[in-house]
Amino acid sequence: MDWNCAEIEERLSDSLEGRLTPEEAQAFSAHVAGCANCQELAANVRELVRGMERLEMVPEPAGLTRRILDATLGPREHVSAWERWTRWTQAIWQPRLAMGAVTLGAMALIVFQMSGLKFSRLRHADLNPVTIVNAADRQVHMVYARSARFVNDLRVVYEIESRLQPQPEAAPEMQLPSPPQQQPQSPGTNPQQKSENDKRHDRSQLRTAALVAMLSPAAGLAGGWTRSSR
Amino acid sequence: MDPDAQLVQQCLRGEGPAWEELVKRHTRRVFNLCYRFTGNSAESEDLSQEVFLRIYRTLPSYRPAEGTFPTWLSSVTRNLLVDHYRRTKRDRQTDSIEDAMPKLEEKHSAARTPDRLALASELSGQLQTALGRLSPELREAVILRDLQQLEYGEIRTVLQVPEGTVKSRINRGRIELARVLKEMGVRPH
Repeated sequence: MDWNCAEIEERLSDSLEGRLTPEEAQAFSAHVAGCANCQELAANVRELVRGMERLEMVPEPAGLTRRILDATLGPREHVSAWERWTRWTQAIWQPRLAMGAVTLGAMALIVFQMSGLKFSRLRHADLNPVTIVNAADRQVHMVYARSARFVNDLRVVYEIESRLQPQPEAAPEMQLPSPPQQQPQSPGTNPQQKSENDKRHDRSQLRTAALVAMLSPAAGLAGGWTRSSR
Repeated sequence: MDPDAQLVQQCLRGEGPAWEELVKRHTRRVFNLCYRFTGNSAESEDLSQEVFLRIYRTLPSYRPAEGTFPTWLSSVTRNLLVDHYRRTKRDRQTDSIEDAMPKLEEKHSAARTPDRLALASELSGQLQTALGRLSPELREAVILRDLQQLEYGEIRTVLQVPEGTVKSRINRGRIELARVLKEMGVRPH
């Protein structure tokens, strides 16, 4: 068969993509071999198609994907890691719960203080409830003893002690020997002449009296004391 | 199941990241189809967004049996391009009248000016110019076949014309393109 230029044009892509029958292919080649125009056209189209095949896609403008997602999904928050972490705690961070949180914190502090746990050297045995209770018990007694000593050493207690010197002893005498050097003293005289035991004895009485005086002003004891001064 | 169909299934099940993945995979392809057809980057961005919006809203209607996801994507894109072309065609026809009158910058007039991206290769740029000189029917056929690499059967689905018409348009489009490039003084390489 003989093909003309029109037919060559018509079947050009079929030729390029291998869709011609053997007879058609032969007719195609035969014409192209003898026609400069068709030869040039065939060559140009072949090069063009190969060139387009090799072309990379044009990169889309920056942010297009994000804009598309915003348009379809709606504006989304870009949650940073920090925000994600605090989000779950936001239910707890409320002003009305602040007092409770502070109370809890203070309680925890006190418990830890009392239990005598050292965080730097925390051992598994330290977390035994019995250990904690014993440690807390020990701490309580120490704190009591310290506060008693503190109160004893207060100036006001010392003053009370001095003024109460002339008063008859209401508490039972201590068994330990003590030199009878209980003289009526006015405030300011040297109380060092008393024995240590006496002083301790007096002090325990005075401590009790001072604590009672400080804790029950309404009972009038403090008033009674002031009335009897000087 | 091919990965796209799988992602569509996940989207329909409400799995958030699946849609993001689908969009990321196909943004470039959709943008390229729009850009090669319109020659305008800004318009192509808007059109791409419209394409994905439409896909998102009609996702339940996708039927894998009727074609691959890229085919469906190309169909939706092509239809939007046709609508867009018809809309802007009216504007193009009134050019000569409007040019005579001073006017404020309008969205349409700005969009009409071809917006050439800085294209990577010389051929890419020259090709874009040459494509602009083809009729829409030939232009879309060549883009779908030689730039989007769709099969003839898929192009038939997208264009909704018989396969013979598809082949004919591709063939004529290529020849016309080669002639335009030759006129521009471009040697194919």
